[in-house]
Amino acid sequence: MATQQDASGKEPNFYEVKRGISSWLYTLDHKRIGLMYLFGIFAALLLGGAFALMVRIELFEPGKTIVGQDAYNQLFTLHGAVMVFLVIVPGIPAALGNMVMPIQLGAPDVAFPKLNMASFYLWCSGALLMLLSIARGAIDTGWTFYTPYSLGSATSVLPALMGVFLLGFSSIFTGLNFLVTVHKFRPQGMGWFQLPLNVWALYATAIVQVLATPVLGITVLLLFVENFMHIGIFDPQLGGDPVLFQHFFWFYSHPAVYIMIIPAMGVISELISTFSRKPVFGYRFIAYSSISLALLSFLVWGHHLFVSGQSRLATMVFSALTFTVGIPSAIKVFNWVATLYKGDIRLQTPMLYALSFVLLFTIGGLTGLFLGILAVDVHLHDTYFVVAHFHYVMMGSTLVAFLGGMHYWWPKIIGRMYPERLGQLCAAGVFFGFNLTFLPQFVMGARGMPRRYWDYDPEFKIFHQLSTVGAVVLGVSIFVQGIYFLWAAKNGARANDNPWGSSTLEWQAPTPPTLYNFTTPPELRELYNYDHFEERGELDWVYADPKNSDDAAEEPASSGH
Amino acid sequence: MSQPHDHHEHGHGSRFIQHHYDDAQHQFDAGKLGIWLFLAQEVLFFSALFVAYILYRSHHPEIYAYAHHYLDVKFGAINTAVLIGSSLTAAWAVRCAQLGQRRGLILNLSVTLLCALTFLGIKYVEYSHKIHEGILFGSKFDPCVSSGGSPLVTKKNECHGTKSSVVWDATAGKATEGCLESAKIDLDPKLEGLQTRCTVSELSMTPGPDGKPALVPNGKTFEPCPLAAAHGEHGAAAGGEGGAHGAAPCYVLSFQPAICPAGPAALVKYGDHAVRRDVGIKVECEAAPEPTVGDPFADRTNEPALGSALISERPAPSKHELAEQFAAGPPPPNTNMFFSIYFAMTGLHGIHVLVGVIVFIWLLLRAIRGDFTPDYFGPIDYAALYWHIVDLIWIFLFPLLYLIH
Repeated sequence: MATQQDASGKEPNFYEVKRGISSWLYTLDHKRIGLMYLFGIFAALLLGGAFALMVRIELFEPGKTIVGQDAYNQLFTLHGAVMVFLVIVPGIPAALGNMVMPIQLGAPDVAFPKLNMASFYLWCSGALLMLLSIARGAIDTGWTFYTPYSLGSATSVLPALMGVFLLGFSSIFTGLNFLVTVHKFRPQGMGWFQLPLNVWALYATAIVQVLATPVLGITVLLLFVENFMHIGIFDPQLGGDPVLFQHFFWFYSHPAVYIMIIPAMGVISELISTFSRKPVFGYRFIAYSSISLALLSFLVWGHHLFVSGQSRLATMVFSALTFTVGIPSAIKVFNWVATLYKGDIRLQTPMLYALSFVLLFTIGGLTGLFLGILAVDVHLHDTYFVVAHFHYVMMGSTLVAFLGGMHYWWPKIIGRMYPERLGQLCAAGVFFGFNLTFLPQFVMGARGMPRRYWDYDPEFKIFHQLSTVGAVVLGVSIFVQGIYFLWAAKNGARANDNPWGSSTLEWQAPTPPTLYNFTTPPELRELYNYDHFEERGELDWVYADPKNSDDAAEEPASSGH
Repeated sequence: MSQPHDHHEHGHGSRFIQHHYDDAQHQFDAGKLGIWLFLAQEVLFFSALFVAYILYRSHHPEIYAYAHHYLDVKFGAINTAVLIGSSLTAAWAVRCAQLGQRRGLILNLSVTLLCALTFLGIKYVEYSHKIHEGILFGSKFDPCVSSGGSPLVTKKNECHGTKSSVVWDATAGKATEGCLESAKIDLDPKLEGLQTRCTVSELSMTPGPDGKPALVPNGKTFEPCPLAAAHGEHGAAAGGEGGAHGAAPCYVLSFQPAICPAGPAALVKYGDHAVRRDVGIKVECEAAPEPTVGDPFADRTNEPALGSALISERPAPSKHELAEQFAAGPPPPNTNMFFSIYFAMTGLHGIHVLVGVIVFIWLLLRAIRGDFTPDYFGPIDYAALYWHIVDLIWIFLFPLLYLIH
């Protein structure tokens, strides 16, 4: 096999192949695209987090604290829209998935590199339109754009809608790319049940991305046209049906919850196995449960419309179907716990996030069952209970898995380690800050505090104040991570090819990987089998297969970018 | 798996095989799966509009039964044939590419492109007529027809010649007094006064394409009004009911359905556009007096009484009769919804056709350059598949929008 080797016999890594701004702007390399996504998404995360903190600070006292009522409406709308459409939906698939999924398959790139680049630029365009909306008097409709309010709002709804439309197509193209990549780029000998669970999860996510997102696309397109041409499809004044908008919106946005959570589950499956030094318990069940979650996600959107004037039959059917989602979710949780059982658990930063995930996801999932019960939902609908529930799922689960995945794959992609102690501290900060923020919200929601309110009854004051304090802890913990990741990219300790002793293929690639990921074709070993790894130091694992003793003795790749 | 790292040295297949694929077959298979997934995405993209269609039609069948008369089946049918034909040539182009027949490929791509442009041309004609007549979506729906078929007025006290539905009372020698649905017009703040009494001062017209007058729902044929003769267009005197010459209702060719609840009136069916162009009407209207007593449309509270009287005196109308009534009567409320759906569906479909045109131009240029070989014809195949789905969506749209009964 012909390789372009330099004098030292090493092929240049993907940073060294080409340099300069244009080599990044025009890149078709999935790792560079993933890395650009990562920076963009992290920036959006900080922006959305800043909005969240302003919302929380406003709620520190009843009445006006820092902003007025209209600005408050804009703040929570922007927090929701930025976090959902710019951060959590693309977070794990487009950033982490892009960087590692092809390598996990032993593939040189995704199936359609140009489409991948197009997805990234669609994401950028969508993000710019969102910023434009903020600049032109930020949208205040809530991130759900419910009609008829979104038709009458005086704020800049149109750029935000167009932004969401473009972000949707970015997501569709990423999903399409991943589906084809998984189908057509598995190496000889890697059957469906030798796929890493992260790939399974991304595959299941991609199904939802391709099949659900177009409905969001057409919905926001119709709303866009409705807004400036008054086409009447959602406008009750012209004979349209505003509840139809809710159906269309949730037909995407409920599956979108699974676009957010399924890849997180994939990351967690990898982390728990690796850091328990134990094969995943019930591999096939976890794989199948990803697919069944993807399929069930299409059948439950009506549970967002229990109080919107849906027929009684429909509410009962949707309520019953909602409970079925609990089955695959519980299968995963039980399998993770069984994997941990009698494992050789290492509490490195990624594992701290994985353990946080299991706990927070369990709380988020179980409170979802409360909301699926019709009678209870009538009481809890549009209260802080709902807010706490979906933050436990979207943030406590997805964002925590995203951070865990970042710490886990950071050494592979960047070639340097992050500061471990600080990482562990921040992981603890995220966990405690998160719970402090959202546990009180369950309580005040159950006691009747409605969501999206600018003012509140003094009896809720203590809960709001606890929540605000928690949000600050959470915000600081995440902000510090952004700083130390940047610091580590230059100053961290050089990473080994396989610092965690993981069994998936990306850890056989050089660190950082070369342009086409592998210098020699990766060797397919038994997945999630850690028997052949030898632990040398705390962060220095090698594969000790007697047949491949040369590989085992391989020096850590130098990066030097 | 092999990973050739050099861009253009593969030793297999065409120079268009990208570096990360094993071989031409690998690239083709990946592309094919990709385009199928894209088509699945397209189906879901259109699905919301189909759901909206089903929902609004099941809730308001009268709107659909009434409004589809505004669409011209002839144009829709021609477009259907054009698209099916282009699907054939698109598939044929794939075959030619597989067999390496460059001339056949170029020919078939050209025909497909021409068909796509023909489709867009016809769509342009349809759209421009609707824009001209104010038959548009949502709040832009302003077809210049009064319920009750009164002499037509618009917001600016005028009717633009071809938009009218005029019922001529031959006995009185003037247009029947209006039955404007005042509540509806009052909604519009831009309206300068309610108009009810109009006189047709000038009218010229030609008969339908077959030279015959239009059919009325009860099966009787009415002659054109004598007014036409006065303008030297027609010599025919008013014929009509009971053979009472000169006192019977007559019709003025109209392309809007019209009905008047009292007095001599004629129902006219929606005509075709070519004829309508030849009808010129000038209408002068007076400012409205207070709503006259006994006008069922002026006083909304009379409506239930009228409705119950109709129900008690008549046997339940058949489905067919209902459809005829819908076709002939005043537009039901929210008729604009049909055109919202119509323009959303055909507009989105039209955008897809436009994309198809761009893709086929690109493929045609590449085919002329000789890019495609039996080893490398993926783009032709993918574009043809895309074109088939565009075709298929139209095959659903045509009956759903044009062929409603």
